[in-house]
Amino acid sequence: MTARNAQERLLDVKGLTVEIDGRRGPAVIVDGIDLHVGKGETLGVVGESGCGKSLTMLSLMRLLPNKIKVTKGTAEFDGRDLHKMSTRELRKVRGGDIGFVFQDPMTSLNPVMRIGDQLCEPLIYHRKMAKADARKRAVELLRLVGIPGPEERLEAYPHELSGGMRQRVMIAIGLACDPKLLIADEPTTALDVTIQAQIVDLVKDLRNKLGMSVVWITHDLALIAGLADRVVVLYAGTVVEDAPVDDLYANPSHPYTRGLLASIPTLSDAPTARLSSIGGTPPEPGRRPAGCPFAPRCPLAMDICRREVPKLEPISSGGSHRAACFAVNKALKAA
Amino acid sequence: MTLVQPNPAIIEEEPPVSLWRDAWHRLRRNKLAIFGLGVVVLLAFVAISGPYLTPYDFLSQDLAARNQAPSLAHLFGTDDLGRDVFSRVVYGTRTAFLVAVVVTAIALVIGTTLGAIAGFFGEPYDRIIMWLTDMAMSVPNLLLVVVINASLKNPIARWMEAQYMATLNPFYRETIWIDFFLVFGSMALISWPPYARLVRAQVLSIRTRPYITAAMALGLSNRIIMMRYVVPNALGPLIVSVSAGLGTAMVLESAFSFLGVGVNPPTPSWGNMISDGLRVWQHYPHLLAAPAFVLGLASVAFSFLGDGLNDALNPRGTK
Ligand SMILES: Nc1ncnc2c1ncn2[C@@H]1O[C@H](COP(=O)(O)OP(=O)(O)OP(=O)(O)O)[C@@H](O)[C@H]1O
Ligand code: SF4
Ligand SMILES: [Mg+2]
Repeated sequence: MTARNAQERLLDVKGLTVEIDGRRGPAVIVDGIDLHVGKGETLGVVGESGCGKSLTMLSLMRLLPNKIKVTKGTAEFDGRDLHKMSTRELRKVRGGDIGFVFQDPMTSLNPVMRIGDQLCEPLIYHRKMAKADARKRAVELLRLVGIPGPEERLEAYPHELSGGMRQRVMIAIGLACDPKLLIADEPTTALDVTIQAQIVDLVKDLRNKLGMSVVWITHDLALIAGLADRVVVLYAGTVVEDAPVDDLYANPSHPYTRGLLASIPTLSDAPTARLSSIGGTPPEPGRRPAGCPFAPRCPLAMDICRREVPKLEPISSGGSHRAACFAVNKALKAA
Repeated sequence: MTLVQPNPAIIEEEPPVSLWRDAWHRLRRNKLAIFGLGVVVLLAFVAISGPYLTPYDFLSQDLAARNQAPSLAHLFGTDDLGRDVFSRVVYGTRTAFLVAVVVTAIALVIGTTLGAIAGFFGEPYDRIIMWLTDMAMSVPNLLLVVVINASLKNPIARWMEAQYMATLNPFYRETIWIDFFLVFGSMALISWPPYARLVRAQVLSIRTRPYITAAMALGLSNRIIMMRYVVPNALGPLIVSVSAGLGTAMVLESAFSFLGVGVNPPTPSWGNMISDGLRVWQHYPHLLAAPAFVLGLASVAFSFLGDGLNDALNPRGTK
């Protein structure tokens, strides 16, 4: 491989399809997603609740719940397909090469285990550290994520910590083995705004310091503006837009992305201005319309949108900005 | 860049207390539970050190002193054979604990194993095991036990006799073991289903908790996840139901002895003492009152303790 740069892909997901075997027959939840993350790059994954963000990430680690399965696609991490690895190899990747921070800090820590023991677990398991060394490292990690009095905190149980502290502990656990990739699944939704900002700053600092790649999942576009290098917008299990973060904000193309950005209040808005939001709700898995999944809610929808599925196509000269929308492509060709 | 400094205002200050110590604190505030615990500990002590506490042997008869009312010499009086009732109640405690502990242990092992298999491995095991459980629960308990005892006791006794004749091994003469074997066995047979259901439900709900997925995302092995994540989280409700189960087993044993299918005389058991006492209670009420009181005390104590543990181990439950 060539020298280290953002083009060198650490994670490369192609055509990932996830289906649920539900009561009303099988339904597609994630529909042929393409994603890639370069070394040292931070990817923001944005989308409404229920669009399949968590399941996409869980499927990478083969952690999907019962009855939900990957049916198509590949997911290469560091050149190896995660879906074809033996369970043994996969265990080394989980927690070792890929750290995971979960959505809900209140329920993602084992309630009957001390913080210190939970932090030491991956160190002992992956790094084969002795207990005493692992505890020293655990103290370092807690200090790294900005938890005061780390020595005492090792002895605490999760219910003795506040939500923000628990989320920091989860990040510390995710970082324990110096992962090449940190996947953070809405790590701040459960927290209040000031703590959200602290956590974002924390991950930014850690990323710059440790040089790891990050996938940051959120439904809050504003939150990742200062954090992500590139953003992928998901809608109903498909990628609708993929762009470098500045391009996305300067030139949002897909009607859904524009809707998302319009629903972020800005300082220049008059205090009385009504927040715009996208009307309607996303389709349930299994009740996806034919053609463009966004068509029922789209102000620009045309006939073709209800018949054919738009492909993700480059809309900038370099090809780094892509969108899946007939209206956008038509406008480009007309131009 | 420097690391973000934590904002001291957002740190909650709480004294670090462990989950179990927390539970202990809550238990201590519950007077009934402490009463239950005290009685249970006392009875356990009596059961273990029984022979050293009793003034008389539980079998020694004193026909000159039959049916005496309670006195300093005989705290609970004497029975129709002149045996000291206090000594017999003390030995009965031993029988009650032996039966309760052994039966609960067997039922717990069967129930936990089947429940964990059903919950963890799912279909087809789940369906088969739950079917077995429902079936075991739908048979009237007393009926089952009476049938087992009535139909099995004689064949086993005959088989033991034949074995003795063939081998001359004195082990086969000890018919008391048939008793215990049948009592323990049949009681365990009707006691395991609630444990199986409880453990299955626990495993099913814990398996889908986010912290299990989080543990898997750390690459931990199934064995570690089972031992350190699933089992400890399932333990609370199990401890509660074991405490209640011990009390139930004692009452059950008394009920069986009362019906004549429990531990046979002359081994003292509260149940057979109550059964004997009931025949003469109009003349000698103490013969009924002493064992009945102790049985009631034990069963109330276990249920108070169970309730107390339930509240103590559920921080989110009622205070
Ligand atoms: N265990 C499950 N069983 C059945 N359906 C599920 C399960 N988990 C998720 N789903 C469905 O899959 C879809 C995608 O879920 P997912 O959790 O990936 O959404 P998400 O984008 O992470 O949303 P959120 O922002 O709320 O976390 C949803 O429509 C949800 O109803
Ligand atoms: S393809 Fe059509 S319906 Fe879909 S977003 Fe574009 S214009 Fe709207
Ligand atoms: Mg999610």
